[in-house]
Amino acid sequence: MRQTGAAFHQQRVDSVKSSQVTVENVSKSFGDFSALKNASLTIAKGGFYSMLGPSGCGKTTLLRIIGGFETPTEGDVCFDGVSILPLPPNKRQVNTIFQNYALFPHLTVFENVAFPLRLKKIAAAEIKRAVQENLELVRMETESKKYPSQLSGGQKQRVAIARALINQPRVLLLDEPLSALDAKLRQHMLLELDAIHDKVGITFIYVTHDQAEALSVSDQVCVLNKGEIQQIGSPAEIYESPANEFVARFIGETNYIHGTIAAVTDNEHALFDSPDYGNFTIYLDKKVQQGSKVALTVRPEKIRVAPEKPDNLPPDVNVLHGVVEDMIYTGFQTKYFIRVSKDKEPLIVFRQHVQYFMDEKPISWKDKVCLWWNTKDSFMVEVSK
Amino acid sequence: MRKNYGPIYVGPVAFWLCAFLSVPLLITLSYSFLAKGLYGGVEPHFSLAAYRSLFNTAVLKVLLNTIIIAVLSTALMVGLALPTAYYIARSSQKNLLLMLIIIPFWTNFLIRIYAWITILGSNGLLNSFLMGVGLTDGPIQFLYNRGAIILVIVYTTIPFAIFPLYSTIEKFDFSLIEAAMDLGASKTKALWKIMIPNIRSGITTAVLFTFIPTFGNFAVPKLVGGTSSWMLGNLIERELNITRNWPLASSMSVVLTFVTMLAVLFFMRSQNKKEL
Amino acid sequence: MSKPGKFSFGVFVFVTLFLHIPLAILVISSFNSSKSMRWEGFSLKWYHELFYNSGPLWHSFWNSIIVAISSSVVATVIGTLGAIGLCWYSFRMKKAIQTLTFFPVILPEIIIGVSILIFFNKIGLSLSLFTIFLAHVTFNIPFVLMTVMARLEEFDFSIVEAAYDLGATEIDMLLRVILPISMPGIIAGLLLAITLSLEDFVITFFVAGPGSSTLPLHIFSMIRFGVSPTINALSVVIIVGTALLALSSKNLYSSLLKR
Ligand SMILES: Nc1ncnc2c1ncn2[C@@H]1O[C@H](COP(=O)(O)OP(=O)(O)OP(=O)(O)O)[C@@H](O)[C@H]1O
Ligand SMILES: [Mg+2]
Repeated sequence: MRQTGAAFHQQRVDSVKSSQVTVENVSKSFGDFSALKNASLTIAKGGFYSMLGPSGCGKTTLLRIIGGFETPTEGDVCFDGVSILPLPPNKRQVNTIFQNYALFPHLTVFENVAFPLRLKKIAAAEIKRAVQENLELVRMETESKKYPSQLSGGQKQRVAIARALINQPRVLLLDEPLSALDAKLRQHMLLELDAIHDKVGITFIYVTHDQAEALSVSDQVCVLNKGEIQQIGSPAEIYESPANEFVARFIGETNYIHGTIAAVTDNEHALFDSPDYGNFTIYLDKKVQQGSKVALTVRPEKIRVAPEKPDNLPPDVNVLHGVVEDMIYTGFQTKYFIRVSKDKEPLIVFRQHVQYFMDEKPISWKDKVCLWWNTKDSFMVEVSK
Repeated sequence: MRKNYGPIYVGPVAFWLCAFLSVPLLITLSYSFLAKGLYGGVEPHFSLAAYRSLFNTAVLKVLLNTIIIAVLSTALMVGLALPTAYYIARSSQKNLLLMLIIIPFWTNFLIRIYAWITILGSNGLLNSFLMGVGLTDGPIQFLYNRGAIILVIVYTTIPFAIFPLYSTIEKFDFSLIEAAMDLGASKTKALWKIMIPNIRSGITTAVLFTFIPTFGNFAVPKLVGGTSSWMLGNLIERELNITRNWPLASSMSVVLTFVTMLAVLFFMRSQNKKEL
Repeated sequence: MSKPGKFSFGVFVFVTLFLHIPLAILVISSFNSSKSMRWEGFSLKWYHELFYNSGPLWHSFWNSIIVAISSSVVATVIGTLGAIGLCWYSFRMKKAIQTLTFFPVILPEIIIGVSILIFFNKIGLSLSLFTIFLAHVTFNIPFVLMTVMARLEEFDFSIVEAAYDLGATEIDMLLRVILPISMPGIIAGLLLAITLSLEDFVITFFVAGPGSSTLPLHIFSMIRFGVSPTINALSVVIIVGTALLALSSKNLYSSLLKR
């Protein structure tokens, strides 16, 4: 059994026909409402590309434009440099995994997967072989006689994948494919999707509003908001150096500190002056001039907290003092809200529980604490003169 | 982008209903504004005579009778259907009880009317019984009056009140009644103040579904009504087939359509209000 | 859970008896050997009369069957296509067409009967079984349309998009996806249309010509002529027939839904 699967995989990889997808200045309006504004992006051949953004930001719209279910108001979509807009969806060599699977309720698993081949009037033996191989790919070969209503959510998902892959598309579009599954199964299916992607080697375009999903499997992530692209980058780039406040706040939690550049000390460092938090040194991830107003972001897990300032702190850290205003225990870590400035929101700090080790002392409500972080862990998200 | 096949799918329906519904209705409307032909049909010149004839006392009497019958029957049907539907919805044997209501409904409409004629007719069961026990000497005429029409309309139409009421009561969350009783309301008061407002859409549907067929009824008064208890439908048929005053038949049809539309609009407005 | 009270129970019993007793009386008197309502002994003579001596009745019965089957098949084809279009596509005039489909359902039957009669007269079509057929298709279309639409609404449009995405043409999609999934709705609509057509009296009354009597029209003239125990026997046959038909179609329908 696995032999055939492996052989099939080999054949797939040899003949990998995946496409590079380019979206050029695409806009889409529904009446007066503009759902996408001048979006441009390039998706590498064989990549796992995620589009991430809050509900209603235009992710599905962009995907449907690529799939051929909507026409853009402006702009172009190309596969390997050739515009596909004139082609109807069934000529684009793209297939879609729909959010609710869209399995045909009146057909068995086998017939669902065989559907595209039956349309092409392919010989029965050939259909049987191809369907078998695809069902093996998603490990559903034993369920082929069941109807969709007899399958679990995860199983339906796999059938939808097998069905979408049987036409050997160059690009697979996935619209929130895991949103209907429960949290545990979601993680499992995500890994499985990643494995399938590795096996078939075609371009995956994956839409989600779940940042953890997007960060964990993608090569590239595109963050959208209100129809506009906010940032494109690798998961680490998106998380570690968000381009603007929206991205920083949408991906994980973060702290904001507004202030001005008091002095540029050298090529890599500057003195930062915040009216609420005082003066400290920052690492320059981009070029700024003295006097610029900037906003810094520091992720809560990058900040350390202790009842007293340790003696042996290295020189390149920034130190603040505050009072614990609130704390939320979540099991694997505690989230502290520490008030540093009277007028600003408290800073958020995560701390994992190792308090029975010697260097950790318990911290509780109303305690005076010391916080510090490495200068390289804060990033400038906005600069204005 | 794929081609929009919507108009192709809808084409046949649109064509058929235009040809055999819209056009006939428009022709009827136009006939109501024409003069009547000598031997039926119409003369092709404008006239309001048909609408003027509507204000004859004879026509107004029939209209009044129609309104009285429609209002009384609707009130009776909804009044009886509400407790019935409530009982079915609260029973543990919903489907069985519902079947009990549905089965007689399957029987042909005319036969259901006929059943009452065998009971109330002058040779009917009731008269045989009354004469048999010596309560009367000759047969009493129970048929051919307003009461008989109302009775038979209620008999043939009441399921249209029971079904919509049943389906809204069935969806009603009865823990609200328990909550109200917990807060000190009596059961009757709780049902009246909590359930009734919440099933308003069912009540308006029941009223609409019984009022419209009753107001436009034709078969029941034709079979169990007398000349003194005519309804609008009978008058329309007479003008169409016997007197052959087609403009008048048309103008009365326009009135009937107008009343129906008014009822529907009223219904839709009350449904919309609920959603706000 | 609080139980329904005595009052609603009383009304329920009253309504149920009210609905059943007249029919029970019909059934009993169909076996009465006397022509009057006085019981004079058991007899099947009215059934004999019905089956062997009622030529015109059976003639009108076959007329009814012809009209019912032809009109409901046509209405089912038109109504099913319309339901697909109205449920899953958007186009100009959609609202207007949707509103138009409600008309035959809400308008009193006599209005449809009168206006369609005036229409046939205007275009010079003489009344016959054919005019009855046309009128029946008209009032049946909306009922089929609504039944099929209710079925289609259980599915998401994405299955149509999926079919298209997987390479189906419009015809493929219609034959391989839409029709199979809506089949229970189509069958239910067809059965409903047959029932409504067999049952219709008012509209048929206006559009029937000489010699094109249907069963309800025949029953009507029998009733007008006077109480006849043959109608009692006929009633029993109709009651039993509809009950059998309803039960078997219910089984058929639920077995179709099983999938
Ligand atoms: N056919 C349409 N007509 C009008 N507006 C539309 C249409 N399709 C989408 N929109 C609007 O475009 C915006 C973007 O929709 P889209 O479906 O792309 O969002 P999304 O990012 O996929 O959101 P979600 O995460 O909720 O799926 C929404 O505000 C939506 O209301
Ligand atoms: Mg979406």
